[in-house]
Amino acid sequence: MNKERKKSRKDRRFPLLLLIILVFAVLGTIVFSVVRRVSAEMSASAIQNLSESLNLIKCTIEAMLNNEAEFQKMMSREAARWENPEEYIRSFEKNQTIVKISLIRSGEKEGISSTGEIFTGDELDFSLGRTVNGLEISQSYINYMGTWAYSMKCPVIKEDREIGTLYAEYVYDSFDRTLPEGFYNDKAMLYIMDARTERFVLKPKGMGQRNAGHVNLMDFYRANDITEEALQEEVTECVQAGGNMLFYHDVQGKESLNYVWAANDGSIFLIGYVPIEAIQQEGRTVNQNIFLVVAVTLIAFFLCCVLYYFNHRRENRIRKERETEREIHNKQLAEALQAAQLASNSKTMFLSNMSHDIRTPMNAVLGFTTLLAKDAENPEKVREYTKKIMASGQHLLSLINDILDVSKIESGKVVLNIEEFTLSDLVSSVDAIIRPMANAKKQSLHVEVTGIRHEYLMGDETRINQILINLLSNAVKYTQEGGSIWFRIIGLKQRSGQYEHVRIEVEDNGYGMTQEYLKTIFDAFTRAENSTTNKVQGTGLGMAITKNIVELMGGTIDVSSQVDRGSLFRVELEFHIPEGHADKKFWEEHGISCILAVDSDEETCADIRTLMQDMGVVVDTVSDPQEALEMIRSSRQGEEYDLLLLEWSPSEGKDAQAAEQIREAVSDQVPLLFMTAVDVEEKEDIPRMENTGVLHKPFFVSALKDKIMEMRAESGEKEEQEETINLEGLRFLAAEDNEINAEILAEILDMEGAGCEIVENGRLAVERFERAEEGEFDAILMDVQMPVMNGYDAARAIRALKRSDAGRIPIIAMTANAFAEDEKEALDAGMDVHVAKPINVELLKRVIRECIRRQK
Amino acid sequence: MRKSKKWYGKAAALCLAAMAVLVLVSCKDEKENGSNLLDIEEKDGRYVNLFSPMEKIDPSAENIARTASDLTMAMAEEKLGVRVAYRTYTAENYQDKTYDDVTLDRVRNNMDDLYLLNPDTIQILGAEGRLVDLSVLASAENLREVVKTANTVNGKLVAIPQEVVAHGLFVNKDMFDQYDLELPETPEDLLECCRVFQENGIETPIGANRWWLENFVFAQAYADLYNGGNTEAEIEALNSGESKYSDYMRPGFEFLQELIDKGYIDAEKAYVSEAIEGEGPDFLAQKTPIVMAYWGAANAETSYGKPDFNLQVIGFPSSRGQMPVVSMTGFAVGAGAEHEEDAIRTIDVMLSDEALQLYSETNKVISPSKNVEVDCIPALKPLNDKIQENVYVLGSNAGMKVEQWGNTCIIVRKLLGGASVDECMAEFDRLQEESLEQQR
Repeated sequence: MNKERKKSRKDRRFPLLLLIILVFAVLGTIVFSVVRRVSAEMSASAIQNLSESLNLIKCTIEAMLNNEAEFQKMMSREAARWENPEEYIRSFEKNQTIVKISLIRSGEKEGISSTGEIFTGDELDFSLGRTVNGLEISQSYINYMGTWAYSMKCPVIKEDREIGTLYAEYVYDSFDRTLPEGFYNDKAMLYIMDARTERFVLKPKGMGQRNAGHVNLMDFYRANDITEEALQEEVTECVQAGGNMLFYHDVQGKESLNYVWAANDGSIFLIGYVPIEAIQQEGRTVNQNIFLVVAVTLIAFFLCCVLYYFNHRRENRIRKERETEREIHNKQLAEALQAAQLASNSKTMFLSNMSHDIRTPMNAVLGFTTLLAKDAENPEKVREYTKKIMASGQHLLSLINDILDVSKIESGKVVLNIEEFTLSDLVSSVDAIIRPMANAKKQSLHVEVTGIRHEYLMGDETRINQILINLLSNAVKYTQEGGSIWFRIIGLKQRSGQYEHVRIEVEDNGYGMTQEYLKTIFDAFTRAENSTTNKVQGTGLGMAITKNIVELMGGTIDVSSQVDRGSLFRVELEFHIPEGHADKKFWEEHGISCILAVDSDEETCADIRTLMQDMGVVVDTVSDPQEALEMIRSSRQGEEYDLLLLEWSPSEGKDAQAAEQIREAVSDQVPLLFMTAVDVEEKEDIPRMENTGVLHKPFFVSALKDKIMEMRAESGEKEEQEETINLEGLRFLAAEDNEINAEILAEILDMEGAGCEIVENGRLAVERFERAEEGEFDAILMDVQMPVMNGYDAARAIRALKRSDAGRIPIIAMTANAFAEDEKEALDAGMDVHVAKPINVELLKRVIRECIRRQK
Repeated sequence: MRKSKKWYGKAAALCLAAMAVLVLVSCKDEKENGSNLLDIEEKDGRYVNLFSPMEKIDPSAENIARTASDLTMAMAEEKLGVRVAYRTYTAENYQDKTYDDVTLDRVRNNMDDLYLLNPDTIQILGAEGRLVDLSVLASAENLREVVKTANTVNGKLVAIPQEVVAHGLFVNKDMFDQYDLELPETPEDLLECCRVFQENGIETPIGANRWWLENFVFAQAYADLYNGGNTEAEIEALNSGESKYSDYMRPGFEFLQELIDKGYIDAEKAYVSEAIEGEGPDFLAQKTPIVMAYWGAANAETSYGKPDFNLQVIGFPSSRGQMPVVSMTGFAVGAGAEHEEDAIRTIDVMLSDEALQLYSETNKVISPSKNVEVDCIPALKPLNDKIQENVYVLGSNAGMKVEQWGNTCIIVRKLLGGASVDECMAEFDRLQEESLEQQR
């Protein structure tokens, strides 16, 4: 297609080019013919012009010669009148024309001259035979004045008898006074040449170049490079014949019109040259103007062509750019389409997976419900079925939560709830969730916290929890039984004093992932597919959610993995450090100013020192219990240390022995805490001694403080048994528009021995509460999304009622709007607590009881 | 909006129409009836006629020497508003009157205003009182003493040169190197060189003309006189007749005779050859290794300015080594010239330091002004070094009662024509006697 287009473009160009050439050729021919005609006319005009000028000079010279001859005849007659003509000769005074006269009497060989010398006439050559006005004229010669001269002789006739001959000598210089001072703007060269000798006898003033002087015709030829013999011969013939001649020949590199012009019947010649440019000055100007016009036209034409060319090129370029742009767009569109198709495929795949994943537990729920109906009389089976229905329901719930979370994050509606939290709580809560899972798969979970300077931090604890649980639960899921999982929190170098830079690492030695999968691991709706992991249930949204949350917190997440070797996830986050947590007062109040920590791990020792550095407490760390013992003994019988921290590793019995020795070495008043990372079951090996306790590793100041408070508060007193929670005798007002949910709620509360009155919307709830007597209801359970009036507005309305209990009656939000912002909105509306649907009975009971207790 | 567009269109059309009218009007010839069409500014008619020799020029070649002089004349023309017209004469052959002959006639008949004169004619015409005393010129104050001495006749500074002309031997150094020859210092050295050249097939090693062989004579005759520290006394002795010119001249003439006898100089050819025309082509064609010429010939394109070989210009051989011969062709103003005043003013400008600087820079010659220094071309360095050391002889000295340059030239020409050395010496004695007679 392109080739054809190019070809057709070429086909169009050729006739255009031909046309341009044709136009140029026609224009050139016209200009050439015009110039040529003008040149020919000018040449003819120049020749005519020069001929006229030369004729004028020639006539002038001839007139002078004639006058001289006339005058000489007159002198001759005058001499004849004198009795003694010699006297006349002697009386002559030279003038500018005649410089000497002489007389030789007839029959004599010698005469006299006006200069007083004897005159013989031998030096004069009249053999040329030329005459002026009837008088013979001699060949030119250098006279006694050192200048070129000629003589004419005239008979002196007295009484019809020739008595002698009068010779008069004329100098050529006299011509100079009469001839014009230069012609053709002083650019023409003119010599007067003696015909016989071909000597140049005069160069009139202003005639030609000042610094050029020629001796004779041959010298003229040589100096002007006229070397053509034929031309020289022609000139010679012309001189001999006394004719005129004009010919073109370059002189000094300039085209010139050379001339040989006879005067006085060929006795003398005008010879020289005129540069053509001098003759054709006007013509040259005309020619120059023609050329200028042509040149300007050509330049204009050329410029137009250039402009056209550039314009054409620019258009081509723009067209190409547009084509390229279009291609890029098309490509982008194709890519976008492909991406969309992929996304669509992913979503289809996801829906397919979801369908499968939802149907599976749903199938269990329905199946077991059927079985439940069938075996309703068998309480054991009923309990078993309900347990399984519960598990399936929980799984379904987690699926739905994940889907909602993803859509929420992707639509940018997630808001972080930044509050103060402690790493200690974070680690212990995560540990509490993950460790049972790991234990169930006989996996070992290693928790390490190093390099942390501040354990009180600002952040969204719930979301951080979510990240950690996602990563760790994945690690548990995708690690074979008996594998290991490492959970590390590492304090990195702070970029700013106000922020703690933390790296969270979750490593396992599980199945690992392929490199291809790693590329899409953080994309939504993907899940590693292989024979092993297919056994694992999941939405495939966990990593996408994790990544989005990390990025929302301004952090980074990356992963490295090898198939069958395990995976390592690294999350880097920065948390703002809250002010005022260097709680020195606590330590002073509890009389702790010096702590001895014993741990074989140097890093743990360093962490303890780091975390305690701002507490105003001296912390000594040693790695060996024996060393610790020596330190205690050397410090005034152990009175120096107010608290002892001792590493406990149950596998080695020597720790127990050392612990006992240490316990003995210090006062019973000094608390001794065993630091252990092992499970509760293993804690039983810890020696039971006075004033001792267990502190879980990793070490946190907050945990230590809690432990100290716990030990000091009720020394030896057992922790209060958890109160048995029941709702018996309580009465609730519930706003719930969904009948099934209302029924379930009523049933649950009824099972717990509580009474419940259900209204269908917020308005009714407000009105019912308004009508109720004080103390009629212990709490209000409020759905959020309801017709007429929603839960938030209803809560606000209740709180605004002018009743003494309107402000304190617990309002518990029970809603399917399960996100943090929903919870926040509920609290802002004046509700006391937020419980997400579906209702977890135990949770609901605990929450209600807590609220009522708080109210009381 | 539409209204303003119409307004613009009308304005543009009006402008175009106005431009078209202007163009048409400007194209029309303005021919006013009844007014004088001649150029009102008439030419000044003040001419100064200069008579000077003219070197024959080659086609398409500028005559640098003449160009240099011409530049100074243009300077005078511009400053004074006069026009300098050249008149010239060149002998067609040896039978013709020489330039000097013609010059004498022209000066004596007041044919021109300004003359470029050779040393002998300066002395003759100065003695005849036909030249104006130029010592009053402002430019005369800048002249070197040697220049003033050489051009002062009867207490009058009658001529001033635009360059100090130093004559020397022009040698083809490549040919000397070819035969392992050193450049000659003494007459004996030169004879030896010529012998070697001749033995190697160069029949006539020295190219000569009828004018400049006298330099050999001057170099040998006056090497001691001008460089011995007793110059004035020796000249006085010559002027008073106590010493004889012939005694000084004899060694040079005998040396020339030997050169002629041994065929190192072709006397017959030299006798009829004009300067450079006769011997130049063979020298440039590297057929002749030695010629003699003046300083400017090494610069001028028309002479020996661009040879195809390593040209060196050295002094003439003498008992004191290489000896430049210095002479001066000077500008003079004819007493009673038609345009005497303009001629004097012209010459004053032409000889000013400014003009001489221009002249010397163009022509690369030694300036007569003590205020003008110009670097010379490499070929002239040996000759220049000698002159800078004040080692040279004068070819003309107006302080000598017997004119040297012209007379010696004529007598050398007689030697070329076959006269013996004794006859030539007798001629010198005769001239000295005539001079003494005139003084008496």
